[in-house]
Amino acid sequence: MVKEKQDVIIVGAGAAGLMLAARLAEGGQSVTILEAGAERQLGDLISSQIWARRLKWAEPAVSESGDHKIGHAFNAGSGTGGSAIHHYGVWLRMHEGDFSLQKDHGVGLNWPLSYADLAPHYDRVQGEVGLSGDAEQERWRPPGAPYPMPPLPLFAQAKVLSKGFENTARQTSPLPLAINSEPYQGRRSCQYDGWCDAGCPIGALGNPLVTWLPRALAAGVHIEHNARVSRVIRSTANPSRIESVEYLQGGARKTLTAARIIIAAFTVQSVRILLSSATAQHSAPGNHSDKLGRYLMTHPAATVFGLFEEETYPHLGVSAGQLLSHDEYDDKAAAGGFGSSQWMIGHAIKPHDLLGYGTGRPDISGPELEPWLKRAARHLGNMTLVCEDIALPENRITLSDKVDSDGIPYAHTHHDLAPTAATRWTQRMSEGEEIMRAAGAQEVWSGPRIGMHIMGGAVMGDDPTQSVTDRNGRVHETDNLYVAGPALFPSSGAVNPTFTLSALASHQAEHLLVTS
Amino acid sequence: MPASLSRRHLMARSTAAGFFMVAGQWLWLTPQEAEAKAFEPQVLTADQCTALAKLADALVPGAAAAGFAAYIDLQLQAGDASLLIGKYLGVDTAAQTGFYQSAADNLIALASEVMSFSDLAKGMASDSLSEWMGPPASYVLFVLRADALDVSYGTPEGFEALGIPYMAHIMPETSW
Repeated sequence: MVKEKQDVIIVGAGAAGLMLAARLAEGGQSVTILEAGAERQLGDLISSQIWARRLKWAEPAVSESGDHKIGHAFNAGSGTGGSAIHHYGVWLRMHEGDFSLQKDHGVGLNWPLSYADLAPHYDRVQGEVGLSGDAEQERWRPPGAPYPMPPLPLFAQAKVLSKGFENTARQTSPLPLAINSEPYQGRRSCQYDGWCDAGCPIGALGNPLVTWLPRALAAGVHIEHNARVSRVIRSTANPSRIESVEYLQGGARKTLTAARIIIAAFTVQSVRILLSSATAQHSAPGNHSDKLGRYLMTHPAATVFGLFEEETYPHLGVSAGQLLSHDEYDDKAAAGGFGSSQWMIGHAIKPHDLLGYGTGRPDISGPELEPWLKRAARHLGNMTLVCEDIALPENRITLSDKVDSDGIPYAHTHHDLAPTAATRWTQRMSEGEEIMRAAGAQEVWSGPRIGMHIMGGAVMGDDPTQSVTDRNGRVHETDNLYVAGPALFPSSGAVNPTFTLSALASHQAEHLLVTS
Repeated sequence: MPASLSRRHLMARSTAAGFFMVAGQWLWLTPQEAEAKAFEPQVLTADQCTALAKLADALVPGAAAAGFAAYIDLQLQAGDASLLIGKYLGVDTAAQTGFYQSAADNLIALASEVMSFSDLAKGMASDSLSEWMGPPASYVLFVLRADALDVSYGTPEGFEALGIPYMAHIMPETSW
């Protein structure tokens, strides 16, 4: 039953929303979450790449343009847990230099926070979620508490690929993962079956269904599913105060009021809700300087494949990979483009689906196909490059002229890759193919460049004329409206964003509890 | 942990898929069974199904017998609940029916005694079919090949054919 009024409404039951809900409710706040998608339970996480498509974006389509599209349908999620229900569990800290891009290099944006500001939250969150890794071997890692669990074991594929890094004078470390290498806080350890992309139903991967959701429910958080937020509504008496949230549920248009409202609906929908909240009298919250929706980012990424004489058994392990290399990460201005980059090495992989090795070789078909697939099933190696995207104002989320059957405007995204970032990607892909050959691959090929992760659009900053929210995620010129999640990121770094968005939400929770 | 989550819980029968119209009756069949019984498609025409299945078989031998046409027709009936890979590739579910109809109509128009489906696939891959209408042929080919891989190798039986242990946490009750 929805209360008439609560302390906090959170829009979105993903990684950021559920974490904030748990922390705030445990701090004594009454919290209701409005989630656009369906209720998800562990039993829904069926081991099938075909059935796994139900977990991806299932609400009205987001149209895309530009030379490097964000891949919304693949990257986003729907229902309890949001996109984190199918995330791979790569939990890496952003590096210190990721927070001061404009100051250090004159490109992109600075964060209003430093690594030191977030470090205590990275430490706290990793203890709550449970990370496996080896902080000493991960020599590029910024300062922080050691991981609470040892790293996951290495399988044949990683051992083969690591030779390529050794033979080209590069270093690797265990990939830090929010996946249990041993039982942790009542959750099982991983069984290395490679079904992470379809969602982990045994609780080994720290998706929100097993981390924040149980805590949130135990603390009294109420979740309304299939509740699609259309806009937030300002108080007529005090326009800087957001009075309520309007949402659609079961064909009915409803409103809910709260002292504070947090929009944590992933990047595109968070911005869509804010943009839809403009009125004849007032611009959209956070858009007084036309910055709302701008600085949309997605990591340029791609996978390099190789076929080896050795048996690699690439079905074993986890989807995320087994090893990490950040050798070139901190030299953003190195010749050959701009930006950080990382390698995630030795993914467990399937023969089909968008990221499968069969799908990635359209040149092989007919009678040659099955023998090739059988060979790949035992001898394939693969590793993924993630490069930094640079925040550009032209890359943005806007409202489409089209509206859905409920009268809600569709979101549109436009994203072009900065030429210097594209050059860096090309350079690193070429190096990746060299590494694969140095590992002994008899045949090497690369997948296409894709957009991995979605960030920005409601960026935080100290200057209200250049950003959408302040350092606590409070929307400028509002008293009580907040944004949470990767929409806040002023830069992308080249690391997977879930750890940072969680640390940021932890920082926000602390602020909200202190000021409540 | 509920019994339904027991690790690698193998189902005795794992490929029942849905209702198909066969000889005027709705029958609960696997796509393979539907294919064998000459099901009556509900979204595509029989000719469109045949054309798509022939191309799929040229790309991924065995895809037609594995129920390729029945899979596509069944998923197109599912609307927003479609599991087709096109969802990842920017083919909005509302546009999927038109996408597959257009692909099939192109194949019907271009296939001939001198242009086999293998030849058509080569022409599609290089976008060299001058009479091709609609989305780029190479893109259509990529999507159809991915669908054929789903049908043939995206199931426990497909993994077995490649010698890969399926190792499910939760075994799918149906292939799709």
